[in-house]
Amino acid sequence: MMDLASLQTLVGPENVSASLEDRLVYGRDASRLRGECLAVAWPMHPEQVVALVEWARAEAVDLVPRGAGTGLCGGATPQRSLVADLSRLTRIESVDVEQRRARVQAGVVLETLNRRLALAGLFLPVIPGSHRSASIGGMIATDAAGLRAVRYGVMRDWVEEVTLVDGLGRVHRLSGDALNHAAGREGVTGFITEATVRLAPLPRQRSISLMAFDDEAALLAQRRRWLVPELTALEYLNRHAAAALGWEPRPHLLAEFDSAQGEIREPARIAELWRQRDGLYPVLAASGRWLIEDPQVEEDNLVALLSWLDAEQIPAFGHLGVGIVHPCFRPNDERIAALYELVAGWGGQVSGEHGIGLKKKAWTDDAFRAQIRQLKAVYDPQGLINRGKLC
Amino acid sequence: MLKEPLENPACIECGLCREVCPMFLILRQERISPRGLAILADEGVASVTFYQCTLCRACRVVCPVGHDPAGERIRGQVVAQGVETEANRIMIANIRQYGNPFGPLKEGEIPKTLTCC
Repeated sequence: MMDLASLQTLVGPENVSASLEDRLVYGRDASRLRGECLAVAWPMHPEQVVALVEWARAEAVDLVPRGAGTGLCGGATPQRSLVADLSRLTRIESVDVEQRRARVQAGVVLETLNRRLALAGLFLPVIPGSHRSASIGGMIATDAAGLRAVRYGVMRDWVEEVTLVDGLGRVHRLSGDALNHAAGREGVTGFITEATVRLAPLPRQRSISLMAFDDEAALLAQRRRWLVPELTALEYLNRHAAAALGWEPRPHLLAEFDSAQGEIREPARIAELWRQRDGLYPVLAASGRWLIEDPQVEEDNLVALLSWLDAEQIPAFGHLGVGIVHPCFRPNDERIAALYELVAGWGGQVSGEHGIGLKKKAWTDDAFRAQIRQLKAVYDPQGLINRGKLC
Repeated sequence: MLKEPLENPACIECGLCREVCPMFLILRQERISPRGLAILADEGVASVTFYQCTLCRACRVVCPVGHDPAGERIRGQVVAQGVETEANRIMIANIRQYGNPFGPLKEGEIPKTLTCC
């Protein structure tokens, strides 16, 4: 039985709970997996995370770091663990407009940060679908990508330094190659408590081209033509997804540029097209297809992947500029396993941007698992933090 | 004004509602978020936590599937199971006995406190 009273003295009695309600809601994240949460703590300062880890070591309780709980692979699902919710670490510590960088605590929400940065004509340009709620810490831990990855890359590309509290309670300030010890590691090496992120200037101009095609091969030929430096997003909808939006049931490509290259330039029309595109997953989810996957394949295998999804009549959309596709399934669809067999056979990634968590562990390879075990040996030899995730 | 939907799509637990919820913005605790309340409702937990919801329905506006928190109906179910806040119990008793939530008022008296949920 863990000693929650001593934890309460460390982080404050109001910041620890083992109530039925808290245990139930923190037993889940957006993955819909059901875990078992023993208790919850809400650190109010990064220093309290250190105290929490030291307490957990003494009590031999494993800890699950949690940001906004918007991850889709169970990275924040507890397994008889104490969940440490970093949602209250919300301080934007500094913004350097000239150097285009910001220092933030892990619980800062992307949308909140970008609203503040807009005043200075800047933004953090990694925009995952969960941008309204996603926290910076969670985005680094999952190496988030999103709509504009074709232009701006992934979260790791925008992180300069990460403060990590490891499984021994040590505080590391990671930068350069060592960023890989925290970014994309889904919390298995420790708690990301603070980060310095790089910022980009907000585009001054936007235009869009929207095109429907007879088949995926013709669409992919156009994709290659649109891969120009001005491209900021390249979104795909297969015919089943287009039909769900009430569009002509043909494969579509939507390309956004930060120049006048696209034919659609009126801001209202651009906003309306993005509104429809943003509404696609909700439409599919509301029809029961809420299970969204994220395979990523190289260009050579895109036609095979898209053709298979089309033939199976699986609605799919995605960020085709970087080869990430989001097929949407009903729960327990056996074709999900078949899809990943195919993707693995093509040498693709089973997770282009959602992460591995608990859901996709079975699809990782030996080299990846060895790499994670090596990192665990250095940062969390007792295996206290996010046990059983990734491998 | 948003109406009670005839069919209420189930919460998909995505969490996109968190940052529009005025109570979550203050407390930053999942139990208070619209997603947390939907999970508690789904689990059939009779809890006073349902009284933390302001019934503003900002969550329904941003919800990808248009889930309605149905706070009034859930509170009714919770009360039927004998779970309610003391403030709510007094308010309902006052309304039934005196026709207002404040309790007995003299002619022209302005109530100093509003007993509410």
